[in-house]
Amino acid sequence: MTRPGYAQLQDVILDPDFPELDLALRRGRHVDRDDVAWYALLGDAQDHLEAFYRRYGCELVHKTDGYFYLLPTGDKLSRRQLAIGDMLVGQALALLYLHPSTIERGGLHTTEELIAQLATVMGSDALIRAFNPKRRRYDERVAQKTVRSRVGESVRRLASLGFVEMMEADQLRLRPALLRFAEPVRGLSEPAEALARLVAQGEIALEDEGAVPADAAADDDDGDGEREPAGSDDGDALPDDDRGDGDAP
Amino acid sequence: MLAVIAERHLTLELGTLDICFLVALYVRGEAAGLTSFTEAQLEDVFAQASAAVAPETDQLRRRATLAIQRLRDQRLLARVDGQGVVRTGEFALSRLAGGIVQFYLEEDVLTRETLGLLTHSLQVALAGVLEAARRAIGPAAWQDGVVGPLRVTIAELVAGIERRQRGLDVQQEDFQAEIRRLLEADWFGAIDRCQDLLESTSATLRELNEVLLRDTSVLLALLQDIEELAVAAGEAEAESAAHRLMDQVDRIAAWGSARQRAWSEYFQYVHRYLRDVVRLDPTRALMQRLRDQLAGAAGRRFALAYAGAPPIRLLRTVAALPDRPPVVRPRAPREREPEADAGEDPQVALDAKVWRSLGGGAAALSVVTGEVTGELPAPERFVEAGRVAQTVARLARAASAIERPWVAVGDDLEIEDWALAARPGGAAAPADTASAEPPPGPKP
Repeated sequence: MTRPGYAQLQDVILDPDFPELDLALRRGRHVDRDDVAWYALLGDAQDHLEAFYRRYGCELVHKTDGYFYLLPTGDKLSRRQLAIGDMLVGQALALLYLHPSTIERGGLHTTEELIAQLATVMGSDALIRAFNPKRRRYDERVAQKTVRSRVGESVRRLASLGFVEMMEADQLRLRPALLRFAEPVRGLSEPAEALARLVAQGEIALEDEGAVPADAAADDDDGDGEREPAGSDDGDALPDDDRGDGDAP
Repeated sequence: MLAVIAERHLTLELGTLDICFLVALYVRGEAAGLTSFTEAQLEDVFAQASAAVAPETDQLRRRATLAIQRLRDQRLLARVDGQGVVRTGEFALSRLAGGIVQFYLEEDVLTRETLGLLTHSLQVALAGVLEAARRAIGPAAWQDGVVGPLRVTIAELVAGIERRQRGLDVQQEDFQAEIRRLLEADWFGAIDRCQDLLESTSATLRELNEVLLRDTSVLLALLQDIEELAVAAGEAEAESAAHRLMDQVDRIAAWGSARQRAWSEYFQYVHRYLRDVVRLDPTRALMQRLRDQLAGAAGRRFALAYAGAPPIRLLRTVAALPDRPPVVRPRAPREREPEADAGEDPQVALDAKVWRSLGGGAAALSVVTGEVTGELPAPERFVEAGRVAQTVARLARAASAIERPWVAVGDDLEIEDWALAARPGGAAAPADTASAEPPPGPKP
């Protein structure tokens, strides 16, 4: 609902916070209540901005968990997907977010706890294989070091997208947008059904069945861990439009 | 002080059973009004503590003897009867043991009542100190009426507030852990209890902050007055004591607002968690499903999509750079062929000058030298004077006595003078002086 403060779209665009917010949203930033000014602006001008971004082939998504993000559904704005390593780290962070121990610490966890969570759930061997996909044989110490390094890189990428906030002393503040990683298993429907629905909405892309469980960051030439959308075997899969030619307004 | 402690190798090693034993002794003493314990009582209390902590322990008497010895070695238990081997001893808890037990049993916590009482007592005591400061004459009066009370009475009261603040901090941490325990034990059913805990702590902090905001300004004003009087009287010790207390009171006030702010953030966080996580997942199935998803046991792997517009490229005005000529080898030869250059012969020029001077009637070497070198800078005149003499000797006939006189030429040159006459048959005038008049004497 649009409040009287923003009678027209022009009023929203003239808001001093709008340029930064707009750029952040277009770069994939998730905005939650901790971004006080941006969240208030999005809440107050939601109707105007939904129509505004729809013209660029994007949906301004507002989740009831208390965060906004921009989801490209057309080909006017570039669209990216998280790398497999980032997905693993994101899901582990979401698990930590849901755990009652988070309550005791006010939403703070350390990177060490994150890696411990990954190792507990996936198993150490699977974790090492996931982050060292191309090595058939590996030195355990080097492989573990690689895992820690890759997890750190993933955390930094997720922080730039607003899923976590990096604090002092290796602490991470978990943010509500992490619940996006749990979307396929949140409803009452079967995971496969939920995945199909999310794929249709453009929220996620499925990995290839035969894909190596590799961290795309490892193979990423530019090291940013972001990928072109994966090819899907579904006819209604993602519009592969990551051409990097998204225009600014 | 630290060196003394290190030198004495002081250590304190207490297990859970030891602490429970101490606490049990303290509680027994309080309940029965005992100031000391007999050995039988000690063993009896140890048996009770042991039954609570390690019920399957055997050899109780032996263990009790060892525990009593451990406590005595660490000066937590002292024999007080002084009878030695005459009869069984009587033992009492030391001050150190009392402090340890009180820490675990009686952690003081700040409440509205205790804070109000303490701040009121502080106000009354400070008003008395202020009155004493106004009446104080001489160092002794300042020491007794102001410095002493500030350092002991007032400082104790302020420390009491700070101690209770720490107690409240510990209590808050316990609340946070308690909320976690409640949720782990009874996920959905714990919501109401968690909210009650949050509400009660929030209300307590709000009340405390109100009291602190109201009373600390009064306390600071009183301390400020005392400090000003101390400065006026030149009592540095009183001034420093008042200043230190003002810092403490400031700290107490800052604690209140900081804790309320921090708790407010925590309050919001927990409420969000209860609403977004607990209420939406009453059976706690989400965590298990997410765990399966992460482990790869639930469905296919997927990747989240997000907007990834590249940064806008802002074009800036750039000044056009001039085209630089390409780097090529020079076509012309670097070395030039030598060429003949007539140039100007300095000796010919000098001859002309000397000839002109002789033609002008100069009859002495000093005159010719003065005319030819007059315009030269001082360092060159000496060298040029020699050349002039050589030229004059060639162009004219010099006549001189055996003892030639030294004649000054300008301010910085002196030469042996010659009298000059035209050379018979004379030399030809240089080409560029052909128009000049010939020197006196027979012309060529």
